[in-house]
Amino acid sequence: MNKVLLGRYLPGSSFIHRLDPRSKLVLSFYFIIVIFLANNWSTYLFMLFVVAGCILLAQIKLGFFWKGVQPLIWLILFTVLLQILFSRGGTIFWQWGPFSLTQTGIVSGIYVFFRFVLIIFMSTLLTLTTPPLEIAGALESLLKPLKKIHFPVYEVSLMLSIALRFVPTLIDEAAKIMNAQRSRGVNFDSGSLRQRLNAVVPLLIPLFVSAFNRAEDLATAMEARGYHGGEGRTKYRINQWHLRDTVSVVFFLLVTIVMILLRTW
Amino acid sequence: MDLSINFKQVTHTYQPESPFAHQALQGVSFTIQEHSYTAIIGHTGSGKSTLIQHLNGLLRPTSGEVVVNQQTITANTSNKALINLRRKVGVVFQFPEAQLFEETVLKDIAFAPRNFGMAADQAEKIARKAASMVQLPQTVLKKSPFELSGGQMRRVAIAGILAMQPQILVLDEPTAGLDPRGHQEIMDLFAQLKREQNLTVILVSHQMDDVALYADQVIVLEEGKVIAQQTPRELFNRPKWLRQHHLDLPHAAKFAFDLEKQANLKFEQLPLTEDELADELAKYLPKEGEQ
Repeated sequence: MNKVLLGRYLPGSSFIHRLDPRSKLVLSFYFIIVIFLANNWSTYLFMLFVVAGCILLAQIKLGFFWKGVQPLIWLILFTVLLQILFSRGGTIFWQWGPFSLTQTGIVSGIYVFFRFVLIIFMSTLLTLTTPPLEIAGALESLLKPLKKIHFPVYEVSLMLSIALRFVPTLIDEAAKIMNAQRSRGVNFDSGSLRQRLNAVVPLLIPLFVSAFNRAEDLATAMEARGYHGGEGRTKYRINQWHLRDTVSVVFFLLVTIVMILLRTW
Repeated sequence: MDLSINFKQVTHTYQPESPFAHQALQGVSFTIQEHSYTAIIGHTGSGKSTLIQHLNGLLRPTSGEVVVNQQTITANTSNKALINLRRKVGVVFQFPEAQLFEETVLKDIAFAPRNFGMAADQAEKIARKAASMVQLPQTVLKKSPFELSGGQMRRVAIAGILAMQPQILVLDEPTAGLDPRGHQEIMDLFAQLKREQNLTVILVSHQMDDVALYADQVIVLEEGKVIAQQTPRELFNRPKWLRQHHLDLPHAAKFAFDLEKQANLKFEQLPLTEDELADELAKYLPKEGEQ
């Protein structure tokens, strides 16, 4: 259970840590779009350098990023395999029915692999350097324009920040209940599919019940502290745009320009 | 059968070889005799909970070995071998009411015996017995466990463990959050069970009064290491050492130390409980006929 890297935050004070969460969020999304511009080895190499530079700036060990890739490694390899086996063009090395091993296939397989890894690295960088609550806050202020079309921005961001806050609590709770039921003879790790499904019931019911209770307690506590809803509230966490945020935005614009140049080169 | 518990240089590291690696137990060695009542004390984060999860194989040592019930658990022990062990070692976790899930109280109590292969009617018989042991009224047995009060839910959860008929009973702060009366009743129940069924009891507690009243030996943990293993009397006779390690004295002992200091009394032996304190104080009362 503790192996989950999702939503894990590593406190630090690097350049990347101190960036405004809004710019980090937007730039991470922007990066994912930019990476689709890459179409040859020089563009991929360049993107690799950009990501390596960001990781260096964040002062986080590379090991964490591999941990982020690990849960998805089979999906990545599967996609790469499909690319390799079903692409046509270039020299054909081997062919059997619909499957073929071609030069283009191998090259695009390698590209897909790098695309996946770079996207995961970048999103891991975002979650490792930004506390979940700041991500929720950033999302709220970015979604603010949607208020005009009566989108419940405030409610959605409140739900999001509460959900994020309770992810680790619920994981702990699940681990605790699992241990308690194991001690009562429940076997979670073996048996037929049916037995395994049955074994989940003594875990799920208490988990839901505890989530209901927790929600009720939390709602009561919020009301007791004078919560009436989103209207007319002030904010404690105020995002501030610094020079470093402008620098990062300019940097990514430059990256885009270089990418476009390298594409046609 | 020998039911003693033996830890040999047990080390446990959470998430080894990862950036989040954390060593919770560091070379822990001790022996717990069968039929004894052992208290494990120490600060939050000293490794108590990690330690007790080794007793029924929920965790395996990263290095070293644990011998429980003549079964040796090492890093390589298979899960299958551990299920057998869990039948013998009942663990009451902190806030055990979180484990209730069945439609009726009776079914929930019978859940563990059923898991360990007992026939339905016999499991129900045992469940009824366990329910009466924890003083649950007959009327609640058909109710849903979620309709009950917090105190009753706690009793149902404890009955669910007792129904396993364990030979070793591990209690992780079994009375946390109960009112004083519930606390007293539950603690007395465990003491009585130990006496009648010759159980081996291991109690994790912050309540030094309970430690003094019930335990025959105390294991003190600090930062994943055992820093003392002695009888409560030996331990509480070292108030200075306890203060150094930020541990409390039982109320009776604290009061006795204050009396010795301020009233210039001298006790033959350190009173650990209210009864012992009363006995010691009685010696200072003028005997009948004297003046």
